[in-house]
Amino acid sequence: MQLSPKLSAKFEKLQTSYPQKRSALIPMLMYAQDEIGHISDEMIAEIARRLDLNNVQVEETLAYYSMLHRKPMGKHHVQICTNVACMLKGGYEILERAKKRLEIGHKETTQDGVFSLEEVECIGACTGAPAMQVNYDFYENLTPLKFDRIIEELDNGKRPEPEPVTSGALHDRNVLETPLISRHWGMKDSHKLEVSVMQGGYKALEKALKEMTPDSIIEEVKKSNLRGRGGAGFPTGMKWSFVPKDSPKARYVICNADESEPGTCKDRPLMEMDPHQLIEGMVIAGRAINSHQGFIYIRGEYRYVLNIVDAAIAEAYNAGCLGKNILGTGFDFDLLIHTGAGAYECGEESALMESLEGKRGYPRIKPPFPAVVGLYGCPTIINNVETLSAVPSIIREGGEAYANCGTPKNGGTRLLCVAGHVRKPGIYEIPLGMNMKKFIYEVAGGVPDGKKLKAVIPGGSSCPLLTADEIDIPMDYDSLAKAGSMLGSGGMVVMDEDTCMVDMARRIMHFYAHESCGWCIPCREGTSWLRKTLERFHAGLGREEDIDLIADLAKNMLGRTFCPLGDAAAMPTISIMKKWRGEFEDHLKGRCAYKSAGALVGAR
Amino acid sequence: MPDLKLIKLKINDREVQVPQGTLVIEATRRIGTEVPSFCYYPGLSLQAACRMCLVEVEKAPKLQTACTLVAIDGMVVHTDTEQVRQARKYMLEFLLTNHPLDCPVCDKGGECELQDMVFRYGADSSRFVEEKIHRPEEKWSDLVYYDAPRCILCFRCVRVCDEGMDVKALGVGMRGANSVIIPNRGDHLECEECGMCIDICPVGALTSGAYRYKTRPWEMQYVPTVCAHCSNGCKTTLSVRNHEILRANNRDLSGINKDFLCVKGRFGFDFTNHPERTRQPLVRKGDKLLPVSWEEAAQVAATKLKAAYDAGGKDAIGFIGSNRTSNEENYLLQRFARATFDTNNIDHHRTADYAGLVTALGGQAADSLLTMEQLYESKAVLVIGNDPTNQNPLVAWQIRSGIRHFGTKLFLINSNEIKLKRQAKQFVRIAAGQEHAVLKWLAREEGQLAPELVEQLVQLKAALEAESDVAIVFGAEISGAAMTTLVAFGSKLPGKTRYLALADYSNSRGAGDMGLLPDRLPGYAHVDDAKAREAFEQLWGCVLSSKPGLTAPQMVEAAQAGKLKALYVVGANPLAHFGKPGEGRGKLDLLIVQEMFLTETAKVADVVLPATSAYEKDGTVTNTSGEIQLLRKAAEVMGPRSDFDLLRILSHQLEKQGLGKAFHYKTPGAVFEEIRKAVPAYNVPLAGLLTGGAEATRVQFARNGHMPYDVPVGLIRSANDTLFTSGTLGRWCTMMESLPEAHT
Repeated sequence: MQLSPKLSAKFEKLQTSYPQKRSALIPMLMYAQDEIGHISDEMIAEIARRLDLNNVQVEETLAYYSMLHRKPMGKHHVQICTNVACMLKGGYEILERAKKRLEIGHKETTQDGVFSLEEVECIGACTGAPAMQVNYDFYENLTPLKFDRIIEELDNGKRPEPEPVTSGALHDRNVLETPLISRHWGMKDSHKLEVSVMQGGYKALEKALKEMTPDSIIEEVKKSNLRGRGGAGFPTGMKWSFVPKDSPKARYVICNADESEPGTCKDRPLMEMDPHQLIEGMVIAGRAINSHQGFIYIRGEYRYVLNIVDAAIAEAYNAGCLGKNILGTGFDFDLLIHTGAGAYECGEESALMESLEGKRGYPRIKPPFPAVVGLYGCPTIINNVETLSAVPSIIREGGEAYANCGTPKNGGTRLLCVAGHVRKPGIYEIPLGMNMKKFIYEVAGGVPDGKKLKAVIPGGSSCPLLTADEIDIPMDYDSLAKAGSMLGSGGMVVMDEDTCMVDMARRIMHFYAHESCGWCIPCREGTSWLRKTLERFHAGLGREEDIDLIADLAKNMLGRTFCPLGDAAAMPTISIMKKWRGEFEDHLKGRCAYKSAGALVGAR
Repeated sequence: MPDLKLIKLKINDREVQVPQGTLVIEATRRIGTEVPSFCYYPGLSLQAACRMCLVEVEKAPKLQTACTLVAIDGMVVHTDTEQVRQARKYMLEFLLTNHPLDCPVCDKGGECELQDMVFRYGADSSRFVEEKIHRPEEKWSDLVYYDAPRCILCFRCVRVCDEGMDVKALGVGMRGANSVIIPNRGDHLECEECGMCIDICPVGALTSGAYRYKTRPWEMQYVPTVCAHCSNGCKTTLSVRNHEILRANNRDLSGINKDFLCVKGRFGFDFTNHPERTRQPLVRKGDKLLPVSWEEAAQVAATKLKAAYDAGGKDAIGFIGSNRTSNEENYLLQRFARATFDTNNIDHHRTADYAGLVTALGGQAADSLLTMEQLYESKAVLVIGNDPTNQNPLVAWQIRSGIRHFGTKLFLINSNEIKLKRQAKQFVRIAAGQEHAVLKWLAREEGQLAPELVEQLVQLKAALEAESDVAIVFGAEISGAAMTTLVAFGSKLPGKTRYLALADYSNSRGAGDMGLLPDRLPGYAHVDDAKAREAFEQLWGCVLSSKPGLTAPQMVEAAQAGKLKALYVVGANPLAHFGKPGEGRGKLDLLIVQEMFLTETAKVADVVLPATSAYEKDGTVTNTSGEIQLLRKAAEVMGPRSDFDLLRILSHQLEKQGLGKAFHYKTPGAVFEEIRKAVPAYNVPLAGLLTGGAEATRVQFARNGHMPYDVPVGLIRSANDTLFTSGTLGRWCTMMESLPEAHT
């Protein structure tokens, strides 16, 4: 197949960039689609040939990822998010407006091929909700009017200016904030090496390489009480110490930048405004486990962020902070940024590794854990962007200083994205252990329009929801666990008194059913069943027995699925059924007066 | 396999001892406790996807999948608690949400694992009221149909196609509840059509084009027998209704091949019902073969045979046997030739030089011949020539399984880039016909070879010398003198070396073992070995000739040249194989053929006696690795008779006319009893055979002065069958013939 010189060069480079060829598969598909608009049979054959795969291996991989299309999409692919944060702020109104304005439905293309429309899952713009992407451009804080204006400009052949940075990342600092890893945000050119170095960037790397041993780095991280910021909260130092010291195999460091937990959009600004902090953290992690190759797996939707990080990596190579003989210490470390293609499940560490190996993002059987058998079967540590970004501070200031920021066993600061019904949605860096109520009212400005707070998703939609009475608690891993929920990935969504919890349960399940990888029965069939039942129930066709059925199904998914996605779907559902059962009963009697419910009956 | 340390665990309060590393699911099976599973399949990679095998393990916070949990000392497992029962019930309920309840019209109904599990562990009512996901059924090939809604996504098919077959024709499409299995060519399959995916499917998602909608499983009888095609001797279970074969598979995983069958074993049974099948005896009247009664046919045949013998004597008559007929029939045929007609003019179409191998090995033969199981467990395998994937599918499967399960090292010497190359540690490409030269170099560093080739051979030799055991597997490329060189090389390897000669047809080995050879008696003793001859003379009450007879090609040549007057052919097509084109039966006065179809040879015969196939008779066959298995009569056909019957009938007719002695064996079993006594290698214990297993022969051979000898070019010749051909018989396997892959 004839490829453009640009694509051909890109392919050549990708094919030789990875320890195993097949890893190039998903990026190749993405870049091919960017240029041609879809993945054709010829392209499949071409890529298969280049990677020594057979067609079905390419086909089954691409079929897994929602951003990859086998049929041509419009020149402008309009992707509107209706996930929880956007839904609360009118995401469905924007979608309805789009359907009318473009005269097409979900996954349809206009006859002239200019526009196509897709209702998508969380795109990581929760603090700028409602939001959409046109191709890779983010447009946030949408109103129907703003939406129309964007479409009009596109129609006129212009490219409306996308959001310069993640909405909600830049704001006046609240006194309760302790900016540490976000401290460079808002500085001019903060993504550039020059600025980073001026602010003390790569000082920690120098210290780690010149003054510390791998063991002492791990010790320092252990002292900091840093726990994984991706959601599970596993102690980072301990994770690193699991890497066998005597393995003859290569070791890898992976940064999990597949941020897709609904409500969460903190990694995006961290990478767009301070990529060097992350790179520095990764090299230090590499040194700690004696690895010489790192990967940043970034979700496919964050293409502009990928470009920013990629440029930063190039700068770091030029400055001797990456590559051979880093800072003259003899330590080598290479770093590659790798694009995903739209799959929430790839945020699960082992599924991410499968995906990075160019396969369907199915999770792996554990044990063995990645620290022993990870990427390409080699010892691997995999950490969230925020976790790795915290490492330079820890090395620079010492683990103890970092730990002192938070509560015992919950070291440091945490980026919290707060979205939904708050006056000041945004991303705030606060010490772990701050009171949640205080945070919502004093940092995020409380619930607007004088309304009462009804519910809070504390850390991404996988977490059990809390009622207004349950939020007077410190925000750290252990206190949230005690309250029956989780700190999760820091994606807080606040709901006011007018929110329909039936609709909330429906939308949450819609997401997990869409993202279930299909590997195991309870998650695959359970989420799909629950989605259908909740949709029917919300649409006014509920039966009394459905209420118990929904709760029962969710409970029987819990703890029995292959990976945590099933639990993530079950937990919020169980909490909603338990805490707002009355709203379900009201729905049966036709008494649900909530705005969002009434407007949507029959809409989908 | 190294001896593993034993550990003890408790399952449902029973103490169980298992080797270290055993999975809990296997440990439960040892004590007969069923832990249900869909995705767990012994021999394939682990998945833990179906979650049916969740069990309670003391001290574990939640239920554990028994299929991935390795048993450890002191572990306490419960497989039948309320929590476990409830988990299974919910899994099944989840599964049934999108699974259509079309069991009444589903091919799998009655033998469906999902049906059985719901019966045993499922809920008594259904709570799912939503709409199911609908998708039309897809036809992927004439043999494979896919019904997506029925699919429970256990991924067995994908794994067996990839890991087991190394074909990788199946993948998974879409995601979540919409996931489906996809074929490799968009809307259809292009593959080896082995049908493994169909049989491994626990539900009715993948169904067989040859079987679908024909019957219900409980209406059939199941007859375990041996595949009628290649020489590997796979056990196949024929599903029979009203004496007609409707299906072949091996779902009980018994026999040497466990669940493996190739396209021929699984679908190549339709020749039994082919409309061209000869169903009545035919006798030539003028230029036409006309149907006659059995009495007339037998009389004509006997009379003419007697006349030919009386006129030309023993040197004017020849016998060509089959490499598909049973051991008993082969044994009878050579007795017929040697005892009744006093001639050693008896041979068959040889596709492997077993006699050469046995002679080269001499006294070592008994423990140097490789069985299929030993092939699977070999540390290293060297394959010279042949293309096992196409010509010996079970051999290829055993090699692949060994690589997968034990890390077997595979080395290839071949003049073609055969498929096994993908998994080989080393592939030595040689020119066609260079095999013996390469062996000479390997055995004695003799001869001039290209330096690049020598370099590869040095490496190969070093690699083989480092192994504790080596299986040498070879095709028809190695015969006669090359065989002697091969054994010379193999004997020099420091470890244990075993040999496997690859032939083409279902009872090639049996034909050799039973003495369908002009110079060998049953058991390979040379015809001039007086002691061996004497034993058979006593047994048969006759005097045997010590002079080697004509080989099959020589007999055809002699017939076409007018030197041979009468030819008796059983289940073979020698005029097509060895004859000069256009010369037909030559100057033969008499040609009698026992055959299923009117082959080129049968068409020009004087008498055609319609014979039954391997699927329509009892007896034994011996596969290429020397393992004996029972043939069991599965189908009944009107007209044809077994070759055993035919030879018996003729022997009686001839005795009546004063020639030879009638055969008084009442059943093939009686012949087998005689073989067990007369051929020491066949004196195997019956226990394994009777349960449908295989018993390895241990060839006991003494050279008694007969040194290895070369064979003329062309005597040993492979039919070069592919996966979709089966010598002459393949022409009447309609289903295989119709596959597009058969013609690429």
